[in-house]
Amino acid sequence: MNTLHPRIRLVWIARAMIRAAIVGAIVTGIAFVLNRSLFIGIGVGGLLVLLGVIHAMLRYRNWAYVVGDDAIYLERGVLTEIRTEVPLVRIQHVDSRRSAFERVIGLASTVVYTAGSRGADVTIPGLTPEGAADLRTELKRLAIAADGEDAV
Amino acid sequence: MKLAPVAVPYRVMQKSGSLILTVLIIASIGAGLQFDSLAVLAVIGGLLLVITAYEVAYYRRFRYELTSDTFDLQSGVFSRREREIPYGRIQNVDISRNIIQRLLGISAVNIETAGGGSTEAAIQYVTVEEGRRLQREIRHYKQDPEPIADDSHTDTAEQAAGTGVAGGAHDAVGDEGERRGERHEHDQQTAGETDRRAHDADEELLFELNPSELALAGVLSFDPRVPGVLIAVFTGSIPFFSPILPTTGSTVILIATIGILLLGAIVLAWVVGAVSAILNYWGFRLLRSGDELRYERGLLQQYSGTIPFEKIQAMTIEDNPLKRRVGYATLAVETAGYAPGQASGRGTEAAVPLASRSRVEQLAAEIDTYGTPAFARPPTRIRRRYFVRYLLALGAIAAALYAVSVFVFPGASVPWYLPLVAVVFTPVAAHYKWLHRGYWVGDNHVVTRNGFWNRETKIVAHYRIQTVIDRRTLFQRRWNVASIVVDTAGSLSILGQDCAAVDIDERDAVALRTELTDRLNEALADRRATRRTATPTWFAADTELTAETWQEDETDDANTGESDASNEAKNEPERGAESDGDVDGLDDSDEHSGPDDAGDSSAADRSA
Repeated sequence: MNTLHPRIRLVWIARAMIRAAIVGAIVTGIAFVLNRSLFIGIGVGGLLVLLGVIHAMLRYRNWAYVVGDDAIYLERGVLTEIRTEVPLVRIQHVDSRRSAFERVIGLASTVVYTAGSRGADVTIPGLTPEGAADLRTELKRLAIAADGEDAV
Repeated sequence: MKLAPVAVPYRVMQKSGSLILTVLIIASIGAGLQFDSLAVLAVIGGLLLVITAYEVAYYRRFRYELTSDTFDLQSGVFSRREREIPYGRIQNVDISRNIIQRLLGISAVNIETAGGGSTEAAIQYVTVEEGRRLQREIRHYKQDPEPIADDSHTDTAEQAAGTGVAGGAHDAVGDEGERRGERHEHDQQTAGETDRRAHDADEELLFELNPSELALAGVLSFDPRVPGVLIAVFTGSIPFFSPILPTTGSTVILIATIGILLLGAIVLAWVVGAVSAILNYWGFRLLRSGDELRYERGLLQQYSGTIPFEKIQAMTIEDNPLKRRVGYATLAVETAGYAPGQASGRGTEAAVPLASRSRVEQLAAEIDTYGTPAFARPPTRIRRRYFVRYLLALGAIAAALYAVSVFVFPGASVPWYLPLVAVVFTPVAAHYKWLHRGYWVGDNHVVTRNGFWNRETKIVAHYRIQTVIDRRTLFQRRWNVASIVVDTAGSLSILGQDCAAVDIDERDAVALRTELTDRLNEALADRRATRRTATPTWFAADTELTAETWQEDETDDANTGESDASNEAKNEPERGAESDGDVDGLDDSDEHSGPDDAGDSSAADRSA
């Protein structure tokens, strides 16, 4: 099983902090209107940051993937554990992408698309840019070799 | 080919209707500003002129054509579009006609493929005969393309064989190989119009809704969600309603008012559901024409559509306690043709609205032979979980009502504890929720069943599985259970329930997950093998394939050179096997509708 790059935690923590800041600002605004202590907003924001950090740590610990002989197998999730098998024959196309955060931290993601209605896209985050590109080409090669001629 | 000329005035009417209404409303609002009625007329006239000019241009630009291997479409007045849809990729061809269109003798034809967010080819409008012809011709081109197309393909195949380099013809979606094989088979045939007519005579009636079933469908089409939504809207708007409610009166009057409103909502939902079901399913017929399903239905707005057997993703048999009591069920067939969020929703998929359970099971088996499921249920301990869950839900409702009684009607004593009466039924509900859950892995299909009220049985062929997802929530982990969701490309699973084995033991879940992925790969390998022996391979191998496979492909390519007669001969055994399968299907369904139904819980339900 492959684990993600440890720095992915920074991406997740950064996202959690932005969410916490937004929620904190809203709560502060409400507190201001209602003439309550402004520390409520800061407290809520701080709590959310703490939860975000714990969540990011656990999420990193639980994330694992492996590209097997005939399927990609992924394990992830903190509260709800999700294990997905994506048969290689079902791969429609593969993306590698980098969000703004990921670029700053020097990471990339690979997204695998299937024709399914629910698990239509499976994202593998926390890869190095070269790793993401390698995974993409590897999956492309495997998908072609798997020769799935009738996805839909 | 062009649209029907009468489509132009109809489209003008359709487009201008709302616009003119808007102008009139603005004019009436602006009456205070002394709008000249002449000016209003001028604006309307100008609008009409512009719309007519646009529609005439649209009509002149719109062209479609059935070529030997694609359906071509040219359209657009300002931005122009040319579109080619390979026949093998077409999922559904639907025709709809509303009452005005029927008077004018025109119909809208929608051609759906698996990709994209909207209908791929919307032809508005052609004559009724032309619409039928399109539906028919597309089917025939799919199975029986004209021989001209063949030469080019043989060339590419020879090239591939000659150079030994893989072609880029690798095919992800569709059944190119089969089609091409069949094309070869029919190579010698003349694809004349007479031949095609003869083909149409093969249309076989699978199911027809008789008037009593239609009436029953109307009566049973009560959707508990409709009054639910109405109640939610109503309770949400209580602050607005409260002034007119007799809050000052006694509690009895208040309860009576609420009771009457509730009853009204339920009756209304029932009537609306019944009327819409009868209008929708009037004259429902399901036909088998060659390797396609065709349905017809509708009283005011008529629908007719085709679904190729090859494109069926999943089947759903659905019933609820009312239907179970009278021994009826509903059958729905899913394809990947409709995009999520498309207005078509559930209705346009071919669905048998109501038929006796044995008939539905027989039909499902005729469409796809899946055998007699022997469902494995989740562990019995899970009933306690459902029981607790229902108790919590009831508690939440009571708490919400209590909050309403305290904050909204402080004076009156609202009987917030009333929902708690339902506690008596929770063990029953929990038991049935458990009883209805089940999964079964057959030789070629996986079947799952879920739902305490609306019981849905989903049938998915192994080779239709897209991904297998194993989900365990925090609570499920406490009970050592997991849910396995089988994802398909069908469009129904977005709205309805998934094909899922819910709350099965963790060990079973892991076994099921790996089994399903293995079965998928086996099924696909089988399909490839039959295809390879039956037809020469055109999609050729990737250069990075192993030497073994490569060898195989070369021998296959060598076959290309052989006469078509040999290909035809090779196709024969496969055909035979297929028809055998059909016979089995009938046998299976007969068995299933027999007394051994008791294994299935429907018999138990009736006695309960």
